[in-house]
Amino acid sequence: MPLSGPPHVPARAGRDWRALLESREAILIAATVLVTLIAGLLNHDFLAVSNLRFMVLNSVVLGLVALGQTLVIITKGIDLSVAPVLGLAAVVSGLLATRQGLPLWGAVLLVLALGAVLGLINGALVSSISIPPIIVTLGTYSLYGGLIFLYSGGDQVNSVPDSYAHFGNGVLAPWFPVPIPILVLLVIMLAVWFLLAHLPFGRNILAIGNNPAAAHHAGVPVKHTLTSAYIITGMLAALAGLIYVCYTGSATATTGTGDHFELQSIATVLIGGTAVAGGRGSVFGTVLGSTFLSVILTALVFLHVPAIWYSAGEGLMILIAVTSNSLRRTATPGRSA
Amino acid sequence: MSEVQSSAAVPQTTGQVVAGRSLVKRFSSVTVLHGVEIEFTPGKIHTLMGENGAGKSTLFKVLAGIHQPDGGAIEVGGVPTVLRTPRAAQAQGIYLVPQEPALLGELSVYENMSLGHLPTSGRFPHRVDWRRTRSEAQAVLDTLGLSLAPMMKAKDLSIAQQQLVECAKALLRGCRTILFDEPTSPLTVREVDFLFGVMDRLRTEGYTLGFISHRMDEVLQISDEISVLRDGRLVETLQRPDFDRKRLVDQMVGREVVVSRRRTPTLGPAEPVAPVLEVTRLCSEPAFRDVSFTVRPGEVLGLAGLVGAGRTEIAEAIFGVRAKSGGVALKGRDISGSSVQEIIRQGLVYVPEDRAKHGAILPMSLAQNISSGSLGSVRHRFGYLDLAAERRVAEELIGRFGVRAYSPDQPIRTLSGGNQQKVVLAKWMNTHPSVAILDEPTRGVDVGAKEEIYELIEGLAREGLAVVVISSDLEELIRLSDRVLALYEGDVVAELSGDDITADRVGRAFLGNHEQGAPVHRASA
Amino acid sequence: MTRALRETPVTARRRPRVGGWELALVVLLLAQLLFFSLAVSGFYDGVSGLLNVTTNFLPFGLVALGLVPVILTGGIDLSVGSIAGFSAVLMAVLWKHFGLSLGVAVPLALLAGGLLGALNGLLITRTRTEPLIITLATSFVFTSVTTAMAGAEPPSGFPDSFNALGTGALGGVPYQLILFAVLAVVISLLITRTRFGRSVVMVGYNRDATRYSGIDVDRTVLGVYVISGLMAALAGVVLAAYYSAVRSDMGDILLLTALTMVVLGGVNIFGGEGSVLGAVLAVLILGFLRQGLLIAGFSDMVTTMVTGAILLIAITAKNLLAGGGFVARLQARFARPVPPAPSPPENAMK
Repeated sequence: MPLSGPPHVPARAGRDWRALLESREAILIAATVLVTLIAGLLNHDFLAVSNLRFMVLNSVVLGLVALGQTLVIITKGIDLSVAPVLGLAAVVSGLLATRQGLPLWGAVLLVLALGAVLGLINGALVSSISIPPIIVTLGTYSLYGGLIFLYSGGDQVNSVPDSYAHFGNGVLAPWFPVPIPILVLLVIMLAVWFLLAHLPFGRNILAIGNNPAAAHHAGVPVKHTLTSAYIITGMLAALAGLIYVCYTGSATATTGTGDHFELQSIATVLIGGTAVAGGRGSVFGTVLGSTFLSVILTALVFLHVPAIWYSAGEGLMILIAVTSNSLRRTATPGRSA
Repeated sequence: MSEVQSSAAVPQTTGQVVAGRSLVKRFSSVTVLHGVEIEFTPGKIHTLMGENGAGKSTLFKVLAGIHQPDGGAIEVGGVPTVLRTPRAAQAQGIYLVPQEPALLGELSVYENMSLGHLPTSGRFPHRVDWRRTRSEAQAVLDTLGLSLAPMMKAKDLSIAQQQLVECAKALLRGCRTILFDEPTSPLTVREVDFLFGVMDRLRTEGYTLGFISHRMDEVLQISDEISVLRDGRLVETLQRPDFDRKRLVDQMVGREVVVSRRRTPTLGPAEPVAPVLEVTRLCSEPAFRDVSFTVRPGEVLGLAGLVGAGRTEIAEAIFGVRAKSGGVALKGRDISGSSVQEIIRQGLVYVPEDRAKHGAILPMSLAQNISSGSLGSVRHRFGYLDLAAERRVAEELIGRFGVRAYSPDQPIRTLSGGNQQKVVLAKWMNTHPSVAILDEPTRGVDVGAKEEIYELIEGLAREGLAVVVISSDLEELIRLSDRVLALYEGDVVAELSGDDITADRVGRAFLGNHEQGAPVHRASA
Repeated sequence: MTRALRETPVTARRRPRVGGWELALVVLLLAQLLFFSLAVSGFYDGVSGLLNVTTNFLPFGLVALGLVPVILTGGIDLSVGSIAGFSAVLMAVLWKHFGLSLGVAVPLALLAGGLLGALNGLLITRTRTEPLIITLATSFVFTSVTTAMAGAEPPSGFPDSFNALGTGALGGVPYQLILFAVLAVVISLLITRTRFGRSVVMVGYNRDATRYSGIDVDRTVLGVYVISGLMAALAGVVLAAYYSAVRSDMGDILLLTALTMVVLGGVNIFGGEGSVLGAVLAVLILGFLRQGLLIAGFSDMVTTMVTGAILLIAITAKNLLAGGGFVARLQARFARPVPPAPSPPENAMK
């Protein structure tokens, strides 16, 4: 039969795309290792275990937020409100901890619930009222940002109870010296990966990002899926906020928004290989991206590069990441109907 | 060949008769289906033929639940059934393989096939059972004889393969009525043979199959029954023993139009007027190759052929929006490398086939659309846009072109198709071109407006405009053209002029049955 | 051929310039002003007082004006804040460390803003990448360079003649307001009355049809980002005059508020639809809202909240009234160009 065997389009094309995504992760790993080695050569302290540990730990907060952002971007959406959600979670949990003695497990439940509700609002507006995500989250960015101040009344979090500090910096057991936040990130990373790769819900997310109409025709519950994606993102951003306050021991009304976590998370997702056009994404890429950024940042510090250039470096990396995407796209023969 | 059991949908053991009773379908003011009565029977391939715009595709979409009929009913197995959504139709076992396969590019073939009901393993967390997805899908693909690399992404498939995956989707869902909407247009000979092999097997198994094609040879080869649609009406159905090529063409064109009015050419064939447009060995693979022709002022050249023959691509190449090699000369001046803006300035314009996508900007007003090709002409001497002048020009053109509208400020999308087309014509005529390429000038236009547009075109030609008309409408071509160039799969296969331009000749040329010497070059794998 | 045009003389008929949305905004603005004047003491301090209040928020308005053409083409510019900071710092540095007079430094700063905008435009058109990404990236880069330029102690203490731009007035009307009004008119005319402006709207509605009409889409896109950069630079300069100082992060707050103003003003994020008038009204509404709340004793954050809430309520109302599925619009926005196929007539709307 004429069509058995290799397909008409050279198999190269199919493999190229897989290769691209794979190689993005590989590039990131290679780049991270490379930077680590070079920085280590130039400054031996860089390779100290404490520093390596620090770099990874530092990336956890951004990594969690970026994981949620990945889901949303795959659906061709965007979530600017992750920054105030993070800040709100940090402040609320921090203040309740110091004032009301909220136990850690309570804080976890609280922030997850908080993130879910805030994400639900986003999701409902996007899916039911059909408002473009960038506008919805622009509005909720302001709304949630104000909520932080409303709640805290200007108060800051300056310290957290020991249990929290341990959660943010400590390890589970002396014989297993991996900081808890890193474990959290790993667990969630695996969970999100599993969700996308093996659960119908995750496959639906990908389907919607590819072709919403076709997905709808085929029976994918588009509205529910979209809303859920934003709920998850909210929860992850809130969890990141809790970890932030546990890790740093402080939180203010400008936590989250001040560091532009929304833009950072988008940048991380892009560098990690997920396309703004939606329809495909790499969970590992996102986490590798956040680690890579953290390593680069720390390396710059160790090499006494003035802090002012960090931002530029990030911007350049986005440009490189994205333009290399488009260059490869034009090189591979497109499939024409 | 074993039956394919699917994980979802009601398994059908016998195919059903799917029938349309007095189906009516309207889009805005245009009626596309006028009370169509048709039946699709198990074990038979029922083909629809007809010119573009006859309603074939729309009929299939109504039967598959994509469009809702405005009148009449659908019967499945003799029972009147309402199909509100494609899923409802699939639940009734009806599946449409669309002309443009709607697959999710980034997902694998297997996943595409099970989209919407991926099989899951029982225990929490109900993860996708990839093994079952793959095996079920593979089983169907094996049935079809389609062998693909395991985790190929849908976007890496060829069009032929994508169509077959769509077909596989139908089988996987247990649908026993499969409608193929013009699948063969983009396919090569080998791919068509393969597709027909699949359809033949399905037919033997008792599936109910519908098929749309323009290509006479194919249709005669594969069909059990052929129905001809013309202007939204079913004019005839022929059964296999009675198949007659000529009869089919006649029915598609319409008997009463055979001796249609042919315009008296402005120029006699031998008049030594220099051509205003010269196209030399124009080539843009894989769409078309080695195309050459000339057009003289006042002459109307028809480009005949089917969708996929390459005519629009030729026009786009001449107009500068498509890369090509070869020569294009306008009034002796080489414009093959010029920008669109320059080409318009030099006097060549293109009225595109897809009005909504390329021809008009639907939310904008008539006046704005009319001036959009010639913004320089409504500039005040100080440089700003003279809106009053814009409206004046628009009003004048609206009057001259007979556009039925309340005001030049109303959005163009509020007009009927025919009037929209007139506005687009006016827009380009406002640039005072020497050559106009009109691509399907009466697509989506009702009969009355069609005639008016023909008169407009003839009037413009009389005034000296050189016109190239691209059309799949035989009547139109015969009516308007002084000469006809027929294209088939990117090659010029015939050139007819004068009295040679008959429905029969032209029809045969672009329906795949040509006789002139030009070798048939079919794109091979 | 019959025709059904009403036979009214051309000059007598005026095109409805003010749409329903703009009218709603006018009502909202007036209601708000009235409310604040009555409910909040100290808000209404005479007309000149009211006018003076505007100096607090007009820099946002300048950025918003620059964003209107960008969003009309269906694009976005996330780098406006960083361009504003860049230009302000550049101006200050040129003045302080290079001894240039402000009369020279300011135009140079504006020029720089335009060039940065051009860089955005070129990257977008040449690499065919989403403006969201490009301007996100360039915002990072511009911010860095700005911080580097500003150094440890950014220049401050500009001459009074310059500061007047930010805080001064002419006959009771603040210079900022005059500037804003003039530019609003200019940009509005640019969009409605020039070929360029017409191309901007066309590109936003239908990129392909615009190309097929012989218009250079890339040049149009480049142009709107240059305008955005210029206006951002101007906003930065005005802020510098207002505070009589510069900081490398002074532009940070501009983006989101300006964007909110544009969207609230009725400009469609997908392009084509919208007016400068709407944006101006939104600027006033949101600006006075912020000031009113501040004077009433509420904090900045509350204002931010209310701004967000208003945006959401307004857009929700707009969508509920207008209808139209998101899936369909999403599909339309991201669909790749389809080869010609017989389609139901008049069916393919954006």
